[in-house]
Amino acid sequence: MRTFLAAAAAIVAVLVVIAFYPGGGPKLNLNATGGPRMLAGAPAQSFPVKRIDGAADGLDRYRGQVVVMNLWATWCPPCREEMPALQKLYEEYHPRGVIVLGVDQGEASRVAAKYAREHGVTYPILIDEDQQYGRAYAAVGLPTTIVIGRDGHIVKGIDGQLTLAQMREALAPALRAQ
Amino acid sequence: MNRVTALAVSVVCIGLVVAQDVAPLADFFHTWQYATALALGALVLIAYANAALKGQDGMLGKRCTLAIAGALVVTLTGIVSGLLGPDTQRVTHAPGTVAPIPDLHAAAFFTAADAQSIAAGNAPIVIRRPGHRDVEVGPNERRFLQSSVLLLQPTHAAFVEVRDASGDRLTVTQPTNASFLSPVLLFPNEQEIAGKKLPFDTFAVPALQRVVKTVYLPGEMTTSLRVPPSYAGKPALLFAVDDDRGSSHGIVIAPDGLDVTIAGMRLRGTIGSYPTLVVASAPEPIALAAGVALFLAGITWMLIGFVAGRPAALTVKSPSGS
Repeated sequence: MRTFLAAAAAIVAVLVVIAFYPGGGPKLNLNATGGPRMLAGAPAQSFPVKRIDGAADGLDRYRGQVVVMNLWATWCPPCREEMPALQKLYEEYHPRGVIVLGVDQGEASRVAAKYAREHGVTYPILIDEDQQYGRAYAAVGLPTTIVIGRDGHIVKGIDGQLTLAQMREALAPALRAQ
Repeated sequence: MNRVTALAVSVVCIGLVVAQDVAPLADFFHTWQYATALALGALVLIAYANAALKGQDGMLGKRCTLAIAGALVVTLTGIVSGLLGPDTQRVTHAPGTVAPIPDLHAAAFFTAADAQSIAAGNAPIVIRRPGHRDVEVGPNERRFLQSSVLLLQPTHAAFVEVRDASGDRLTVTQPTNASFLSPVLLFPNEQEIAGKKLPFDTFAVPALQRVVKTVYLPGEMTTSLRVPPSYAGKPALLFAVDDDRGSSHGIVIAPDGLDVTIAGMRLRGTIGSYPTLVVASAPEPIALAAGVALFLAGITWMLIGFVAGRPAALTVKSPSGS
Protein backbone atom coordinates (compact mmCIF):
# COMPACT_ATOMS: atom_id res chain seq x y z
CA MET A 1 0.00 0.00 0.00
CA ARG A 2 2.82 2.44 0.95
CA THR A 3 4.64 1.69 -2.30
CA PHE A 4 1.45 2.35 -4.24
CA LEU A 5 0.91 5.70 -2.47
CA ALA A 6 4.55 6.74 -3.07
CA ALA A 7 4.26 5.87 -6.77
CA ALA A 8 0.97 7.77 -7.06
CA ALA A 9 2.47 10.83 -5.32
CA ALA A 10 5.46 10.72 -7.68
CA ILE A 11 3.23 10.57 -10.74
CA VAL A 12 1.13 13.49 -9.46
CA ALA A 13 4.34 15.49 -8.80
CA VAL A 14 5.54 14.92 -12.35
CA LEU A 15 2.13 15.88 -13.78
CA VAL A 16 2.08 19.09 -11.70
CA VAL A 17 5.53 20.02 -13.03
CA ILE A 18 4.35 19.39 -16.60
CA ALA A 19 1.08 21.28 -16.15
CA PHE A 20 2.58 24.41 -14.64
CA TYR A 21 5.78 24.53 -16.67
CA PRO A 22 5.77 27.65 -18.84
CA GLY A 23 6.13 26.70 -22.44
CA GLY A 24 7.37 28.32 -25.54
CA GLY A 25 10.24 30.09 -27.07
CA PRO A 26 11.19 33.74 -27.09
CA LYS A 27 8.53 36.42 -27.03
CA LEU A 28 9.04 39.81 -28.60
CA ASN A 29 7.94 42.79 -26.52
CA LEU A 30 7.63 46.02 -28.44
CA ASN A 31 5.17 47.77 -26.13
CA ALA A 32 5.24 51.51 -26.07
CA THR A 33 5.96 53.23 -22.78
CA GLY A 34 2.44 54.71 -22.78
CA GLY A 35 3.28 58.33 -23.59
CA PRO A 36 4.13 61.21 -21.25
CA ARG A 37 1.08 60.68 -19.00
CA MET A 38 2.71 57.53 -17.62
CA LEU A 39 5.74 59.46 -16.35
CA ALA A 40 4.05 61.14 -13.36
CA GLY A 41 6.13 60.52 -10.23
CA ALA A 42 9.31 59.52 -12.06
CA PRO A 43 12.54 61.50 -11.64
CA ALA A 44 13.01 64.04 -14.43
CA GLN A 45 15.97 63.21 -16.67
CA SER A 46 18.34 65.95 -17.79
CA PHE A 47 20.69 66.10 -20.75
CA PRO A 48 23.33 68.76 -21.40
CA VAL A 49 22.33 70.94 -24.37
CA LYS A 50 22.74 74.56 -25.46
CA ARG A 51 20.42 77.54 -25.35
CA ILE A 52 19.65 79.50 -28.51
CA ASP A 53 22.28 82.04 -27.42
CA GLY A 54 24.89 79.24 -27.38
CA ALA A 55 25.24 79.00 -23.58
CA ALA A 56 25.41 75.53 -22.00
CA ASP A 57 22.18 74.55 -20.26
CA GLY A 58 20.04 71.58 -19.24
CA LEU A 59 17.01 70.78 -17.12
CA ASP A 60 19.09 70.01 -14.01
CA ARG A 61 20.10 73.68 -13.81
CA TYR A 62 16.53 74.47 -12.75
CA ARG A 63 16.33 71.94 -9.89
CA GLY A 64 14.50 73.47 -6.92
CA GLN A 65 12.08 75.38 -9.15
CA VAL A 66 8.79 74.36 -10.69
CA VAL A 67 9.45 73.86 -14.40
CA VAL A 68 6.98 73.74 -17.28
CA MET A 69 9.01 72.08 -20.03
CA ASN A 70 7.53 72.31 -23.51
CA LEU A 71 8.91 70.13 -26.31
CA TRP A 72 8.34 71.83 -29.66
CA ALA A 73 9.63 72.49 -33.18
CA THR A 74 9.13 75.37 -35.60
CA TRP A 75 7.58 73.13 -38.29
CA CYS A 76 4.85 71.96 -35.87
CA PRO A 77 1.62 74.03 -36.31
CA PRO A 78 0.06 73.22 -32.89
CA CYS A 79 3.40 74.10 -31.21
CA ARG A 80 3.35 77.50 -32.90
CA GLU A 81 -0.29 78.08 -31.93
CA GLU A 82 0.49 77.19 -28.31
CA MET A 83 3.50 79.50 -27.88
CA PRO A 84 1.63 82.74 -27.13
CA ALA A 85 -0.15 81.00 -24.23
CA LEU A 86 3.19 79.68 -22.95
CA GLN A 87 4.64 83.18 -23.15
CA LYS A 88 1.68 84.51 -21.09
CA LEU A 89 2.14 81.69 -18.56
CA TYR A 90 5.82 82.61 -18.25
CA GLU A 91 5.02 86.30 -17.69
CA GLU A 92 2.34 85.44 -15.11
CA TYR A 93 4.22 82.80 -13.09
CA HIS A 94 7.91 83.66 -13.50
CA PRO A 95 7.75 86.20 -10.66
CA ARG A 96 6.53 83.29 -8.46
CA GLY A 97 9.60 81.20 -9.33
CA VAL A 98 8.11 79.10 -12.13
CA ILE A 99 10.31 78.43 -15.16
CA VAL A 100 8.87 77.90 -18.60
CA LEU A 101 11.42 76.08 -20.72
CA GLY A 102 11.03 75.48 -24.45
CA VAL A 103 13.07 72.54 -25.77
CA ASP A 104 13.32 72.57 -29.55
CA GLN A 105 13.47 69.06 -30.97
CA GLY A 106 16.05 68.34 -33.62
CA GLU A 107 16.40 71.72 -35.28
CA ALA A 108 19.31 74.08 -35.74
CA SER A 109 19.77 76.84 -33.16
CA ARG A 110 19.57 79.47 -35.87
CA VAL A 111 16.09 78.33 -36.95
CA ALA A 112 14.65 78.24 -33.41
CA ALA A 113 16.29 81.57 -32.46
CA LYS A 114 14.84 83.30 -35.52
CA TYR A 115 11.37 82.00 -34.71
CA ALA A 116 11.57 83.04 -31.04
CA ARG A 117 12.81 86.51 -31.94
CA GLU A 118 10.12 87.07 -34.56
CA HIS A 119 7.33 85.92 -32.24
CA GLY A 120 8.40 87.71 -29.08
CA VAL A 121 9.25 84.57 -27.08
CA THR A 122 11.33 85.55 -24.03
CA TYR A 123 11.35 82.34 -21.98
CA PRO A 124 14.52 80.18 -22.26
CA ILE A 125 14.71 77.98 -25.35
CA LEU A 126 17.05 74.96 -25.37
CA ILE A 127 18.26 73.30 -28.58
CA ASP A 128 18.09 69.50 -28.42
CA GLU A 129 19.49 68.50 -31.82
CA ASP A 130 19.72 64.80 -30.91
CA GLN A 131 16.12 64.80 -29.59
CA GLN A 132 17.19 63.27 -26.28
CA TYR A 133 14.45 64.99 -24.27
CA GLY A 134 11.77 63.89 -26.71
CA ARG A 135 12.82 60.26 -26.34
CA ALA A 136 13.31 60.34 -22.58
CA TYR A 137 9.93 61.98 -21.99
CA ALA A 138 8.12 59.44 -24.17
CA ALA A 139 6.76 62.07 -26.55
CA VAL A 140 4.23 60.52 -28.89
CA GLY A 141 3.83 63.79 -30.78
CA LEU A 142 4.56 67.52 -30.56
CA PRO A 143 3.93 69.61 -28.59
CA THR A 144 4.49 67.68 -25.34
CA THR A 145 4.41 69.47 -21.99
CA ILE A 146 5.98 68.16 -18.79
CA VAL A 147 5.42 69.79 -15.38
CA ILE A 148 8.30 69.13 -12.96
CA GLY A 149 8.10 69.80 -9.23
CA ARG A 150 10.71 71.42 -7.00
CA ASP A 151 11.92 67.96 -5.94
CA GLY A 152 12.93 67.15 -9.53
CA HIS A 153 10.11 64.64 -10.05
CA ILE A 154 7.56 64.76 -12.84
CA VAL A 155 4.14 66.00 -11.70
CA LYS A 156 2.36 65.66 -15.01
CA GLY A 157 3.06 64.82 -18.65
CA ILE A 158 0.65 66.01 -21.33
CA ASP A 159 0.53 65.20 -25.03
CA GLY A 160 -0.84 67.85 -27.41
CA GLN A 161 -1.63 71.53 -27.56
CA LEU A 162 -2.84 73.30 -24.38
CA THR A 163 -4.74 76.49 -23.74
CA LEU A 164 -3.60 78.95 -21.08
CA ALA A 165 -6.36 77.70 -18.75
CA GLN A 166 -5.23 74.10 -19.21
CA MET A 167 -1.64 75.13 -18.49
CA ARG A 168 -2.66 76.85 -15.25
CA GLU A 169 -4.63 73.76 -14.25
CA ALA A 170 -1.65 71.47 -14.96
CA LEU A 171 0.66 73.74 -12.97
CA ALA A 172 -1.57 74.00 -9.89
CA PRO A 173 -0.62 70.67 -8.20
CA ALA A 174 3.10 71.48 -8.48
CA LEU A 175 2.58 74.90 -6.92
CA ARG A 176 0.42 73.46 -4.11
CA ALA A 177 3.20 70.96 -3.28
CA GLN A 178 5.64 73.76 -2.42
CA MET B 1 18.29 0.34 -7.97
CA ASN B 2 22.08 0.30 -7.77
CA ARG B 3 24.54 3.01 -6.90
CA VAL B 4 26.04 3.27 -10.39
CA THR B 5 22.63 3.99 -11.92
CA ALA B 6 21.90 6.65 -9.29
CA LEU B 7 25.27 8.33 -9.89
CA ALA B 8 24.76 8.19 -13.67
CA VAL B 9 21.33 9.85 -13.29
CA SER B 10 22.96 12.46 -11.01
CA VAL B 11 25.58 13.29 -13.62
CA VAL B 12 22.95 13.56 -16.37
CA CYS B 13 20.71 15.85 -14.27
CA ILE B 14 23.64 18.06 -13.23
CA GLY B 15 24.82 18.16 -16.84
CA LEU B 16 21.39 19.28 -18.05
CA VAL B 17 21.05 22.04 -15.45
CA VAL B 18 24.61 23.30 -16.01
CA ALA B 19 23.89 23.31 -19.76
CA GLN B 20 20.78 25.42 -19.07
CA ASP B 21 22.95 27.83 -17.12
CA VAL B 22 25.45 28.05 -20.00
CA ALA B 23 22.83 28.40 -22.75
CA PRO B 24 19.66 29.71 -21.07
CA LEU B 25 18.14 30.84 -24.38
CA ALA B 26 18.04 27.37 -25.95
CA ASP B 27 14.40 26.46 -26.58
CA PHE B 28 14.79 22.97 -25.11
CA PHE B 29 15.30 24.34 -21.60
CA HIS B 30 11.89 26.02 -21.72
CA THR B 31 9.87 22.94 -22.65
CA TRP B 32 7.84 20.52 -20.53
CA GLN B 33 10.00 17.67 -21.85
CA TYR B 34 13.05 19.15 -20.11
CA ALA B 35 11.09 19.61 -16.89
CA THR B 36 9.79 16.04 -17.10
CA ALA B 37 13.28 14.65 -17.60
CA LEU B 38 14.48 16.48 -14.50
CA ALA B 39 11.42 15.47 -12.47
CA LEU B 40 11.90 11.79 -13.38
CA GLY B 41 15.60 12.11 -12.55
CA ALA B 42 14.69 13.58 -9.15
CA LEU B 43 12.34 10.64 -8.45
CA VAL B 44 15.09 8.14 -9.29
CA LEU B 45 17.50 9.93 -6.98
CA ILE B 46 14.96 10.09 -4.13
CA ALA B 47 14.20 6.38 -4.51
CA TYR B 48 17.90 5.46 -4.32
CA ALA B 49 18.60 7.82 -1.39
CA ASN B 50 15.63 6.32 0.50
CA ALA B 51 16.98 2.80 0.07
CA ALA B 52 20.57 3.79 0.82
CA LEU B 53 19.65 5.58 4.04
CA LYS B 54 17.95 2.36 5.20
CA GLY B 55 21.34 0.64 4.76
CA GLN B 56 20.40 -1.39 1.68
CA ASP B 57 23.61 -0.29 -0.11
CA GLY B 58 26.03 -0.56 2.79
CA MET B 59 28.40 2.07 4.15
CA LEU B 60 29.33 3.38 0.69
CA GLY B 61 25.65 3.77 -0.16
CA LYS B 62 25.10 5.93 2.91
CA ARG B 63 28.07 8.12 1.93
CA CYS B 64 26.77 8.25 -1.62
CA THR B 65 23.54 9.92 -0.39
CA LEU B 66 25.53 13.13 0.23
CA ALA B 67 26.38 13.24 -3.49
CA ILE B 68 22.78 12.36 -4.35
CA ALA B 69 21.56 15.22 -2.13
CA GLY B 70 23.81 17.62 -4.09
CA ALA B 71 22.46 16.31 -7.38
CA LEU B 72 18.90 16.74 -6.07
CA VAL B 73 19.58 20.36 -5.13
CA VAL B 74 20.86 21.02 -8.66
CA THR B 75 17.93 19.16 -10.25
CA LEU B 76 15.32 21.00 -8.19
CA THR B 77 17.07 24.31 -9.01
CA GLY B 78 16.59 23.51 -12.69
CA ILE B 79 12.90 22.63 -12.23
CA VAL B 80 12.21 25.69 -10.06
CA SER B 81 13.85 28.06 -12.55
CA GLY B 82 11.38 26.87 -15.16
CA LEU B 83 8.35 26.97 -12.86
CA LEU B 84 9.04 30.31 -11.18
CA GLY B 85 11.25 32.05 -13.76
CA PRO B 86 9.77 34.22 -16.50
CA ASP B 87 9.06 33.17 -20.05
CA THR B 88 11.93 34.19 -22.31
CA GLN B 89 11.39 37.79 -23.41
CA ARG B 90 13.27 39.92 -25.90
CA VAL B 91 12.62 43.58 -25.16
CA THR B 92 13.48 46.06 -27.89
CA HIS B 93 13.03 49.75 -27.11
CA ALA B 94 14.36 53.02 -28.43
CA PRO B 95 17.34 54.62 -26.67
CA GLY B 96 16.34 56.87 -23.77
CA THR B 97 13.05 55.06 -23.11
CA VAL B 98 11.85 52.86 -20.26
CA ALA B 99 10.21 49.44 -20.56
CA PRO B 100 8.44 47.65 -17.72
CA ILE B 101 9.53 44.07 -16.96
CA PRO B 102 6.53 42.84 -14.92
CA ASP B 103 7.99 39.38 -14.28
CA LEU B 104 10.87 40.96 -12.36
CA HIS B 105 8.85 43.86 -10.87
CA ALA B 106 11.47 46.03 -12.55
CA ALA B 107 11.92 48.62 -15.26
CA ALA B 108 14.58 48.53 -17.96
CA PHE B 109 16.15 51.89 -18.80
CA PHE B 110 17.45 51.85 -22.35
CA THR B 111 20.32 54.31 -22.18
CA ALA B 112 20.49 57.29 -24.52
CA ALA B 113 22.61 56.67 -27.61
CA ASP B 114 24.34 59.04 -29.99
CA ALA B 115 25.99 58.28 -33.32
CA GLN B 116 29.25 57.23 -31.59
CA SER B 117 27.63 54.74 -29.21
CA ILE B 118 25.53 53.25 -32.02
CA ALA B 119 28.71 52.81 -34.10
CA ALA B 120 30.54 51.24 -31.13
CA GLY B 121 27.53 49.10 -30.13
CA ASN B 122 28.44 49.50 -26.46
CA ALA B 123 25.27 50.98 -24.94
CA PRO B 124 24.28 49.28 -21.65
CA ILE B 125 20.79 48.75 -20.23
CA VAL B 126 20.06 49.56 -16.58
CA ILE B 127 17.55 47.54 -14.55
CA ARG B 128 15.86 49.38 -11.68
CA ARG B 129 13.76 47.79 -8.93
CA PRO B 130 12.22 49.58 -5.97
CA GLY B 131 14.42 49.14 -2.91
CA HIS B 132 17.30 47.52 -4.79
CA ARG B 133 20.53 48.70 -6.33
CA ASP B 134 20.55 49.39 -10.06
CA VAL B 135 21.85 46.51 -12.16
CA GLU B 136 23.74 47.54 -15.30
CA VAL B 137 23.94 44.97 -18.08
CA GLY B 138 26.65 45.64 -20.65
CA PRO B 139 27.52 43.92 -23.92
CA ASN B 140 28.87 40.36 -23.36
CA GLU B 141 27.72 40.42 -19.72
CA ARG B 142 25.25 38.21 -17.86
CA ARG B 143 23.46 39.31 -14.73
CA PHE B 144 21.36 37.02 -12.54
CA LEU B 145 18.22 38.43 -10.95
CA GLN B 146 15.96 36.13 -8.95
CA SER B 147 15.36 33.09 -11.20
CA SER B 148 16.33 34.98 -14.34
CA VAL B 149 19.41 35.74 -16.34
CA LEU B 150 19.65 39.06 -18.16
CA LEU B 151 21.83 39.52 -21.20
CA LEU B 152 22.05 41.74 -24.25
CA GLN B 153 21.81 40.78 -27.90
CA PRO B 154 22.95 43.35 -30.45
CA THR B 155 20.40 44.33 -33.10
CA HIS B 156 20.99 46.36 -36.25
CA ALA B 157 20.64 50.08 -35.60
CA ALA B 158 21.39 53.33 -37.40
CA PHE B 159 21.52 56.89 -36.13
CA VAL B 160 20.18 59.24 -38.80
CA GLU B 161 20.90 62.94 -39.12
CA VAL B 162 19.04 65.11 -41.59
CA ARG B 163 20.04 68.61 -42.71
CA ASP B 164 18.46 70.99 -45.16
CA ALA B 165 20.21 72.52 -48.17
CA SER B 166 21.85 75.19 -45.97
CA GLY B 167 23.18 72.58 -43.53
CA ASP B 168 20.73 73.19 -40.66
CA ARG B 169 19.60 70.15 -38.65
CA LEU B 170 16.00 69.02 -39.13
CA THR B 171 13.75 67.08 -36.77
CA VAL B 172 13.46 63.34 -37.39
CA THR B 173 10.27 61.58 -36.28
CA GLN B 174 9.06 57.99 -36.34
CA PRO B 175 5.27 58.28 -36.43
CA THR B 176 4.73 54.52 -36.73
CA ASN B 177 7.13 53.47 -33.97
CA ALA B 178 6.89 53.47 -30.19
CA SER B 179 9.43 56.28 -29.84
CA PHE B 180 8.13 59.20 -31.91
CA LEU B 181 11.14 61.48 -31.55
CA SER B 182 13.97 58.96 -31.92
CA PRO B 183 16.61 59.43 -34.63
CA VAL B 184 17.75 55.85 -33.94
CA LEU B 185 16.31 53.28 -36.36
CA LEU B 186 16.00 49.73 -35.00
CA PHE B 187 14.72 48.04 -38.18
CA PRO B 188 11.83 46.00 -36.77
CA ASN B 189 10.43 45.11 -40.22
CA GLU B 190 11.69 42.95 -43.09
CA GLN B 191 11.41 43.29 -46.84
CA GLU B 192 12.54 40.92 -49.57
CA ILE B 193 15.01 42.44 -52.04
CA ALA B 194 16.94 40.34 -54.58
CA GLY B 195 15.77 37.16 -52.86
CA LYS B 196 16.99 38.27 -49.43
CA LYS B 197 14.95 39.37 -46.46
CA LEU B 198 16.39 42.71 -45.38
CA PRO B 199 15.55 44.76 -42.28
CA PHE B 200 13.91 48.12 -42.86
CA ASP B 201 12.52 51.04 -40.90
CA THR B 202 10.83 54.34 -41.74
CA PHE B 203 11.27 57.90 -40.51
CA ALA B 204 9.75 61.24 -41.40
CA VAL B 205 11.17 64.72 -41.84
CA PRO B 206 8.07 66.82 -41.12
CA ALA B 207 9.72 70.17 -41.84
CA LEU B 208 10.09 69.11 -45.49
CA GLN B 209 7.06 66.75 -45.63
CA ARG B 210 9.33 63.78 -46.45
CA VAL B 211 8.97 60.13 -45.51
CA VAL B 212 12.17 58.08 -45.78
CA LYS B 213 12.08 54.30 -45.95
CA THR B 214 15.47 52.98 -44.85
CA VAL B 215 16.68 49.49 -45.75
CA TYR B 216 19.69 47.94 -44.02
CA LEU B 217 22.04 46.48 -46.65
CA PRO B 218 24.48 43.87 -45.28
CA GLY B 219 28.13 43.99 -46.33
CA GLU B 220 27.86 41.16 -48.87
CA MET B 221 25.29 43.17 -50.86
CA THR B 222 27.35 46.35 -51.12
CA THR B 223 30.19 44.67 -53.04
CA SER B 224 28.04 44.78 -56.19
CA LEU B 225 26.68 48.28 -55.60
CA ARG B 226 28.03 51.67 -56.64
CA VAL B 227 29.72 52.79 -53.43
CA PRO B 228 33.21 54.22 -52.84
CA PRO B 229 35.76 51.35 -53.02
CA SER B 230 36.70 51.68 -49.35
CA TYR B 231 33.03 51.10 -48.38
CA ALA B 232 32.45 48.02 -50.56
CA GLY B 233 31.75 44.96 -48.45
CA LYS B 234 30.60 47.07 -45.49
CA PRO B 235 26.98 47.59 -44.44
CA ALA B 236 25.15 50.55 -45.96
CA LEU B 237 21.69 52.08 -45.92
CA LEU B 238 19.28 52.48 -48.79
CA PHE B 239 17.14 55.61 -48.45
CA ALA B 240 13.92 55.70 -50.50
CA VAL B 241 12.35 59.15 -50.20
CA ASP B 242 8.66 59.91 -50.71
CA ASP B 243 6.70 63.05 -49.91
CA ASP B 244 3.77 62.82 -47.52
CA ARG B 245 1.36 62.40 -50.46
CA GLY B 246 3.21 59.24 -51.52
CA SER B 247 5.09 60.60 -54.58
CA SER B 248 8.58 59.19 -54.93
CA HIS B 249 11.59 61.55 -54.76
CA GLY B 250 14.24 58.93 -55.51
CA ILE B 251 16.47 56.31 -53.98
CA VAL B 252 20.07 56.63 -52.80
CA ILE B 253 22.59 54.33 -51.16
CA ALA B 254 24.38 55.79 -48.16
CA PRO B 255 27.61 54.16 -46.96
CA ASP B 256 28.14 54.18 -43.20
CA GLY B 257 28.75 57.74 -41.92
CA LEU B 258 28.81 59.41 -45.34
CA ASP B 259 26.51 62.30 -46.30
CA VAL B 260 24.23 61.78 -49.30
CA THR B 261 21.99 64.39 -50.87
CA ILE B 262 18.48 63.62 -52.08
CA ALA B 263 15.18 65.53 -52.42
CA GLY B 264 16.58 68.72 -50.91
CA MET B 265 18.00 66.92 -47.85
CA ARG B 266 21.45 65.88 -46.70
CA LEU B 267 21.16 62.48 -44.99
CA ARG B 268 23.76 60.69 -42.91
CA GLY B 269 23.31 57.26 -41.36
CA THR B 270 25.76 55.94 -38.79
CA ILE B 271 25.43 52.16 -38.78
CA GLY B 272 26.02 49.94 -35.76
CA SER B 273 24.00 48.17 -33.16
CA TYR B 274 21.81 48.79 -30.14
CA PRO B 275 21.03 46.10 -27.57
CA THR B 276 17.89 44.07 -27.17
CA LEU B 277 17.39 42.98 -23.56
CA VAL B 278 16.86 39.25 -23.18
CA VAL B 279 15.28 37.95 -19.97
CA ALA B 280 15.30 34.17 -19.58
CA SER B 281 14.74 31.81 -16.71
CA ALA B 282 17.98 30.29 -15.43
CA PRO B 283 19.03 28.20 -12.44
CA GLU B 284 19.87 30.23 -9.34
CA PRO B 285 23.71 30.32 -9.48
CA ILE B 286 24.31 30.07 -5.72
CA ALA B 287 22.02 27.04 -5.34
CA LEU B 288 23.60 25.51 -8.44
CA ALA B 289 27.14 25.99 -7.10
CA ALA B 290 26.13 24.68 -3.66
CA GLY B 291 24.54 21.58 -5.20
CA VAL B 292 27.57 20.82 -7.37
CA ALA B 293 29.88 21.33 -4.36
CA LEU B 294 27.75 18.95 -2.27
CA PHE B 295 27.84 16.38 -5.07
CA LEU B 296 31.63 16.56 -5.36
CA ALA B 297 32.01 16.39 -1.56
CA GLY B 298 29.81 13.27 -1.49
CA ILE B 299 31.83 11.61 -4.27
CA THR B 300 35.07 12.42 -2.46
CA TRP B 301 33.71 11.07 0.85
CA MET B 302 32.57 7.91 -0.87
CA LEU B 303 35.97 7.42 -2.55
CA ILE B 304 37.73 7.89 0.77
CA GLY B 305 35.48 5.23 2.27
CA PHE B 306 36.09 2.97 -0.72
CA VAL B 307 39.91 3.26 -0.47
CA ALA B 308 39.89 2.89 3.33
CA GLY B 309 37.57 -0.10 3.15
CA ARG B 310 39.54 -2.12 0.57
CA PRO B 311 42.32 -3.65 2.86
CA ALA B 312 39.70 -4.49 5.48
CA ALA B 313 37.60 -6.26 2.91
CA LEU B 314 40.62 -8.28 1.73
CA THR B 315 41.48 -9.22 5.30
CA VAL B 316 37.98 -10.44 5.98
CA LYS B 317 37.71 -12.29 2.72
CA SER B 318 41.09 -14.15 2.93
CA PRO B 319 40.11 -16.83 5.53
CA SER B 320 36.91 -17.76 3.69
CA GLY B 321 38.83 -17.88 0.40
CA SER B 322 41.43 -20.38 1.76
